[in-house]
Formats: sequence, C-alpha cells, structure tokens
Amino acid sequence: MFADVRRMVAKIAGRFKSRFYGRTFRCPVCHLELAIVDADGNRLLVCPVCGVVIDIDEVYGHAVPVVLEVELNRPQPKARIHPLATHIPIGLYPFAVLGTGLLILASIIQPLLPGLGSWFARAPLVADATLVLLALSVGLSILTFVSGLRDWSRRYRRRSYRQIRLKIVFSVIFLVLGALAIALHASGAVFSPTTGLVDLGSPLSLAMAALEVTILAAGFVVIATLGHVGGTLVFGK
Amino acid sequence: MMEFNLSAEQQELVEKARAFTKEWISPKAVEYDRTGEFPLEICREAFKQGFMNPHVPVEYGGAAHAVLDHCLVMEELCTGCSGIATAIDANGLSQYPVILAGTDDQKRRFLAPMTEELMFSAYAVTEPEAGSDVSRVKTTATKVGNDYVLNGVKWWITNGSVASWYFVLARCDDKQTAFIVPADSPGIVRGPKEINLGQHASNTVRLTFEDVKVAAANRLGEEGGGFQIAMKTFDHTRPGVASGANGISKAALNIALSYAKRRRTFDKKLISNQGISFKLAEMVTRLDAARYLTYKAAWLFDRGEDNAREAAEAKWFAADVAMQSAIECAQVLGGYGFTTEMPAEKLIRDAKIYQIYEGATEIQKMIIVGKLMRMKEVY
Repeated sequence: MFADVRRMVAKIAGRFKSRFYGRTFRCPVCHLELAIVDADGNRLLVCPVCGVVIDIDEVYGHAVPVVLEVELNRPQPKARIHPLATHIPIGLYPFAVLGTGLLILASIIQPLLPGLGSWFARAPLVADATLVLLALSVGLSILTFVSGLRDWSRRYRRRSYRQIRLKIVFSVIFLVLGALAIALHASGAVFSPTTGLVDLGSPLSLAMAALEVTILAAGFVVIATLGHVGGTLVFGK
Repeated sequence: MMEFNLSAEQQELVEKARAFTKEWISPKAVEYDRTGEFPLEICREAFKQGFMNPHVPVEYGGAAHAVLDHCLVMEELCTGCSGIATAIDANGLSQYPVILAGTDDQKRRFLAPMTEELMFSAYAVTEPEAGSDVSRVKTTATKVGNDYVLNGVKWWITNGSVASWYFVLARCDDKQTAFIVPADSPGIVRGPKEINLGQHASNTVRLTFEDVKVAAANRLGEEGGGFQIAMKTFDHTRPGVASGANGISKAALNIALSYAKRRRTFDKKLISNQGISFKLAEMVTRLDAARYLTYKAAWLFDRGEDNAREAAEAKWFAADVAMQSAIECAQVLGGYGFTTEMPAEKLIRDAKIYQIYEGATEIQKMIIVGKLMRMKEVY
C-alpha cells in the first residue's frame, strides 16, 4: 500500500513537473534536470549547479546536450544567507503543523478522557507556541525569499531557470498561505483563547479548523517542494 | 524499371509515424528505460493513431498494411525507443500465425476484438531449453476428450504479462502443434518481469502452464502443423525486426552527427576530424545497405514470393549494423557516450537483442546457407 501511495505521488509530481518544466534533459555533468525551454536563442544554457555551458538540441525527439565550456568564475553568495535562512522556515513549519494537529486531536478526545483535564488545561500554551512557530516560520521565509532573489541576481545572473521560477511562485504561495494560517490562528476563530481547543459544538469553529488544516497541509506540500527543488540546485540530482 | 521512391501514401505514413515518435516515444524513452514500466499510455496513443495491429486483415477490422509499410513505420518508432516500439508491435508476432492458419471463427474471436479496443497478445514458443532450436520445445499437449491439456514452461515471452491470449507451440503425440490459449485460462502462471540488458520498456516474462485446458476449437491448423506455422511467421516478421534494428542505427547516426557538428576539440568542430567524419560516413552507408536489404525482403513478401533468404539476410545484417552503429555513436561521444545521461549507452543495450531474438544471427546464416545449397549458381 505504501508503494502504491508513493507511485501515485510520483505520478502527480511527474505530471506537474512536465506541465511546469516542459521537455527536460539531464545535465551530463551534474545530472540536474534542466528545461529545454530555458536555453537562450542560441540553444545555450549554463547549468546552475556545475556551471557548464551546454548547447542543447533535439534530434528525432532525443535531447542531445553538448558541453562547450565551463563558467568558472561564478560569484559566490555572500555570507550564504539564503542557504542558511532557508532551513529555519523548513525546520519550524512541521512543528507548527504538528502543534495544530495535536490541538485538534485534543479537542476530539477531551470529552472522552475527562481524567486528563490537567493536560488539556495546557492547551492554550500549546496554541500560543504553535502560533509563535508559525509566525517565525512564515516571517523568516521573507528573509529566505529576499536572499534567494539576491542570489539569483548575482550568482545566476538573472538567467531563466524553471527551478528558480518555481521557487519564486511557490514562495509567494507559501507566504500567502502562511499569512492566512497565522490570521486564522491568531483570530481565535479556530482555537478558543480560553480553552486553546476547537469548540466542537460550534459549526463555525469546525469550519475554521477544517480551513486552517487545509491551508497548513497545502503549505506543507509547498514548502516541501521548495526544499526539494532548492536541494537539486545544490546537489544536482 | 526499378523504383526507389516511396509512394505518396507511404510517405504520409512515415511522416505520421515520425511525428508520433518525436512527440510520444523519444521524450519518454529514458524514463521508461529507467523504470522498466510497461508503456501503456504510449500504447494507448499508438492504438488510437492506428500503429497497432497493422497486419490484421481488413475484414476483421484491421488496416492490412503491407509488410513494407510496416517496416517503414517500425524504423521510425524504433528510432525513438526500440523497447517501447516492441511493446507496441509485439502483437504482430502472435497475430500472424492466426492470420496464416486460423479459421474464420478463430480470426473473429481473437483478431477482431484487438482492432476494437487496446489489447495485447503474445507469441509463446521459446522455452528454457529451446531457443533458436524450436524443435526442442517440450511443452506437452495431451488430448483429453475434445480438449487438450497443456503442461510446460515458456520463457522470455514478450508482452506476456499484459497479453489477453497466447500463441503456444506444444507437443501433441510428439508432433508440434499450435494453439491459441486465452490468458485467463486456469493454470497459467505469469512470472515476474525479467530484468534484461536492454529494451527495458518491453515486458518479458516466464509463463508456466499447469494442466491448462484448451478447447479443440483453439487449435491452429492440424496436429503436427505447428512448427511450420511458427517458422512461416518469421518470413513475415523478420523484415519488421530488421527495420527495428535500422531504427536504432538511425538514432545512433542522428545523435552522433548532431554531437559531432557541435562539440569542439583541438579548436575545431569534432566533425572536422577525419577519424570522426569517416565513422559517420560508414554509419550512414551501412544503414542504407541494411535498409535496402530490409525493403527487398518486405517487397518480396508483399509480392507473394519466397523471401526466406532475403528476410534472414536483412535480419542479421541490420542487427549487426545496429550494434556497430550504437558502439560507434558512443565512440563519437567520447566519455559522454559512456554515461547514462546520454542516449548512446541505451542504444548499445537495446541493439544487442536484435542479434539474438527471432532467430539469432547464426540461425539467419544457416537459413541463407540452406538456400545457397539448393542453388547451382548465384545470380
């Protein structure tokens, strides 16, 4: 069953990639998957990872990359802000999701386990901690975003790469989703400020909780994709 | 007068196959080679565009392409990926015995449905102890009342996992007899996909027959006529196999040429080095020679003439040319020819099987010599 889920996820990811990247080929040196459409008018493309200058052509539908040069003097990102900063949102976000999940679980099981009242009394603290984690994750992703744009401008000379385009689009989506999740969480419409739990008797609270979970899940997919694509720009494949 | 041009219809067919190859096969060749997945999605599209079951007669819903037309299409498809092309075309090998020796009822039951929806069939003759020497087949068919009961093991059966029925050769009272066996018959066990050197997209499996009941209505031809049917099939299919090999040669040539025209060494284009340019000249010449042999074998068959010798010549020569072209392609690409990120190494792996399946190169030479021995003079 796990293999089936993996296959399904791979299929969805493959379809998305083929829509976003179009026809691709692998850099013969670092194995990074590159989009043919990123080549310039002379069919040339500089690999963002290893810096080889590739002349890419299609022959009978086969991509035939030819390495012509190597771009040796590439500006290094100063202080490496982007690679360092990128790990903070990625590291904090899963804990914010976990906190929200625990609060929802606690809201469901609280009526069934009255003996654990002292534990449930700490729910407002967990709700606040979750909000802080979420705010830090989304807030620091602004730094990641800005430093990433700077690196693109310096190191990659603003060249067109599908990976970077995808990272920019997904970063904006993550910021929007994150802001929505923070607003929902902070408004008290999902988790009651007094109990820290979802009011299961209120249809509005239930709907808001469902919305927050959906937003967080979507954000999770987005940030995981950002991390994966970012990783390929460091390691190739 | 001798005519080398393709007719307008043939030219149109080639262009259609080329467009299909460029859009559907080549871009996905690497992916299917790496995963070993069966290219069902591509087969579905091939079926839609009419590239599957080209041999089926018109009265049973087919297009009834001439063998030469089929060769032209196969060359194009195999230029994209011979593994995927094999998955698309393997039906032909099992369909032809039915076309050749089947009754009208058998053709209606087994051929006609294949032109209505996407279905597969497989040619199950090879056994672990009987490859090139088909006479060694040991699978038994015992007559029980009106039925036959089959027992035995078939090996390297292309499209074996996905087939709806099999063409099976078995021994009935020590006489080789052919059967059409529905794949859902109780007692058929399909083995796992074999991991072969090349053509990873092609599905090759072991089939075990354990007391498999086959109705007498599914026997092809007479008892003892199976060997002839199985062998006669090859006169029809070998030009197609040779075309597949030509497709590999064409892919190798195109890739090597494109690379040599763009890569620079010693301050000039790679193609400006005589050692490399001569390789390309040899590749294109060998490809042309292999093509002409292939087209001649197909043309003879389409005229209703005996083509056994020409089909054997085309098959062994084209297979050797494909192997040589793939190796030369890798040589032109240098170190890049040895990496899995470039298409050359896949061509080498894919080409090898052409020297082996549907009669190894040595068998083809035996056929040619057999024909020569009956001739006083060769003209």
